Amino acid sequence: MKSAVTPYASVDVEPGLKKIILFEIAFPMILLVLGITMGLLQVLFRAGIIRSQSFLGINYYQGLTLHGAINAIVFTTFFAVAFGHAIIRSHTGKPLLLGAAWWSLILMTGGTLMAAVPMLTGSASVLYTFYPPLKAHPAFYIGLVLLVIGSWIAFFSWIPIVQQWKRENLNTKMPLGVLGIFATFIVWFIATIPVAIEILFLLIPWSLGWTPTVNVPLARMLFWFFGHPLVYFWLLPAYVMYYTMLPKLAGGKLYSDFAGRFTFLWLIAFSAPIGIHHQYTEPAISTTWKFVHAFFTMLVAIPSLVTAFTLAASMEHGSRENGGQGLFGWWKKLPFLDPNRWLFGYLFAGLFIFIFGGITGIVNASYNLDNVVHNTSWMPAHFHQTVAGPVFLAFIGGSLLLLSTLSGKEIVLKRLNVWIPYLWTLGIMTFSTGLFITGVAGEPRRTNLGLSYANPASPLYQPSWRAARVAGTIGGVIMFLTMLLYFVIFFGTLLRKKSSAGALAFPVTTPYHDEDVAAVQSIRPWLVAAVILLIVAYTMPFVELARARYEGAPPYSPASPVASRR
Amino acid sequence: MSTTTIGIEKRIVAAAALFVLALTGVIALSVRVFGIGLPTCLTDVRPFREGKVIVQGPKRYEIHYLARMWKFEPADISITPGSTADIYLSTADVTHGMQIPGTNLNLMAVPGTVNYARVKFEKAGDYLVVCNEYCGISHHQMAARIHVTESAAPPPVTAAATPLGGQEVLDKYACTACHSLDGSPMPGPTFKGLYGSRRTMADGTIVIADEAYLREAIEKPNARVVKGFDPLMPETPMSPAELRALTQFIKTIK
Repeated sequence: MKSAVTPYASVDVEPGLKKIILFEIAFPMILLVLGITMGLLQVLFRAGIIRSQSFLGINYYQGLTLHGAINAIVFTTFFAVAFGHAIIRSHTGKPLLLGAAWWSLILMTGGTLMAAVPMLTGSASVLYTFYPPLKAHPAFYIGLVLLVIGSWIAFFSWIPIVQQWKRENLNTKMPLGVLGIFATFIVWFIATIPVAIEILFLLIPWSLGWTPTVNVPLARMLFWFFGHPLVYFWLLPAYVMYYTMLPKLAGGKLYSDFAGRFTFLWLIAFSAPIGIHHQYTEPAISTTWKFVHAFFTMLVAIPSLVTAFTLAASMEHGSRENGGQGLFGWWKKLPFLDPNRWLFGYLFAGLFIFIFGGITGIVNASYNLDNVVHNTSWMPAHFHQTVAGPVFLAFIGGSLLLLSTLSGKEIVLKRLNVWIPYLWTLGIMTFSTGLFITGVAGEPRRTNLGLSYANPASPLYQPSWRAARVAGTIGGVIMFLTMLLYFVIFFGTLLRKKSSAGALAFPVTTPYHDEDVAAVQSIRPWLVAAVILLIVAYTMPFVELARARYEGAPPYSPASPVASRR
Repeated sequence: MSTTTIGIEKRIVAAAALFVLALTGVIALSVRVFGIGLPTCLTDVRPFREGKVIVQGPKRYEIHYLARMWKFEPADISITPGSTADIYLSTADVTHGMQIPGTNLNLMAVPGTVNYARVKFEKAGDYLVVCNEYCGISHHQMAARIHVTESAAPPPVTAAATPLGGQEVLDKYACTACHSLDGSPMPGPTFKGLYGSRRTMADGTIVIADEAYLREAIEKPNARVVKGFDPLMPETPMSPAELRALTQFIKTIK
């Protein structure tokens, strides 16, 4: 007999909030069509199938900028905010501050459109990491700032709601999902302060010509102070879905409530003081501090290992509750292809991909091993197994869940939908395997290989970098086709007629082991730990930078080796 | 809640922690035992504006790579197998990357800085030098070559050849004519205990004698003179490797 998994915790929401959430998942999804198309073009350029600077009027590096900015910044930020609204609203049962939510939406949308114009017209082809002294149009930087401020407003508006809930529920633990969303946005807030300093004080005045030069080592350190916690901002909403939804979908309970709280709180403390592991091969940072950051990076792997154990245990529990047997036989009792529990596949497949993303992440963190893989195609292979694996699958699954439940529309092509996560897994694994192999051989990332290293007519042709050309292309095409199917399902559902009024409805898990560990009941001590760790990790690197007084750099257009003067 | 279950979960957390500590230990060991390190912070070498190869001796090279949109200078180098190269990397414009597949060399070229690594080319062959950081619309064309071949012209040990030890640099420039190593008074300040100390200048300012100060004191000695000494020292331009060897040597005289 099938277990009853339908009892979604259902909450009727205000029409205004419904509009806000639906807009915040549908708007980035339209942009994602462009972002994904750019992804397909990347593999075709890199394989030498397209052998030119541009295709359909879009330069390779312009397309790469769009691919990174839309997929990794815009889509993720919008989803995190929309999902945050949904979780806070449903788990506290309290109405949100709609005025703030509207302002958040307006700023994020305005910022996105503002940054999109220079990207689409080719005056911001600086990639989504926008390293100076390559300079983008000022509108690009200002748009990014507005997007970030919009997301902050959403977060700030949840704080009084949750405080009110706490006052009314003094002896109750904060709902795990709410803790997860707060962890997400605390990490985001910590991360965005240094990048705000970089953009507001270094890049905007310099891009407007008010300051002649920019301190590049300082800008880079501020960027990576942001860049690593950024990946936990991506990962944490996925973790919220893993801890609060996956065990329920598997037919059971969360194995350990403590593990979930520990994971969220540990990530608040340790996701930021580790940014220098992106800067191992740089001058201007001494090896002592590179090693300290390497050590802290290892510590941030602990919650991922704990999560792997807890989720596997939760799925095993769910399976055994429903007749699963044997040492490994219980795997067969999981709802891999159940159209009514379709979200299980999206989450499970993401976890499978994350095994490889996690292991290769430990390789990247491993200090001197980075000499071999830094800035090679190993890197995109790794982060496509993290941000384009568990994060992306959870976010597109979450978007579809929010769309169908909130608007009261049945998902179209339900039986095809269950295959999407597995097709995506096939695509990602094929793509990444090729890029891992050639990455170790030294093939660079972020490079229009078709014009040089993948072009037999070029003196730079590297016949031995074949794996990425073949597997990268096959994997990329599978990913693209899978997403076409997803878009048909998403937009088909969006355009469909309502079959019910619509409400916020999530699968919500209860804990199997509901431990009472004092250390994980309050966010505050972990915030203090985060601040102390940041002071320890970053004071001396910044002092070293300030002491050395590096010469500044004037702005450059990506199209010219002559510095642009105003 | 039962105490046994939290026992299992605590053991899982502990096992995860032990695992990552063991990995960190292995990394530390690989740095210590095999000497596989990362580039560190160089403040005693000034960014340069031209690329060149300096032959230090048989099988010893100092290569100054200048990265610029969209080439490396020098673009083509021939050296003999078994050679060791001290590679310094600077950039004339934007941020670049430099990797030599088949070696452990992987360096970022960051504007305003100099990066450094030492590579030993054991095997003969054509090594590709790849720019691996996006640097503008022709980034994909930015590469150089190092030919490691027996037929490479035997390196002439030129007069400009630089000794690599600090002691040799000291002798070459006759530093000890004016600077003692044991604290005894001479026309210039002693090197003993110099590094990291607080120096009072003739104009009353106080300076910490770090690498950047030592560089300035060698290249432009009379820009700031230590209180109680006369502006006697000549400007002494050195190659980056010499400067580095000398400042590292001065650090050790405690």
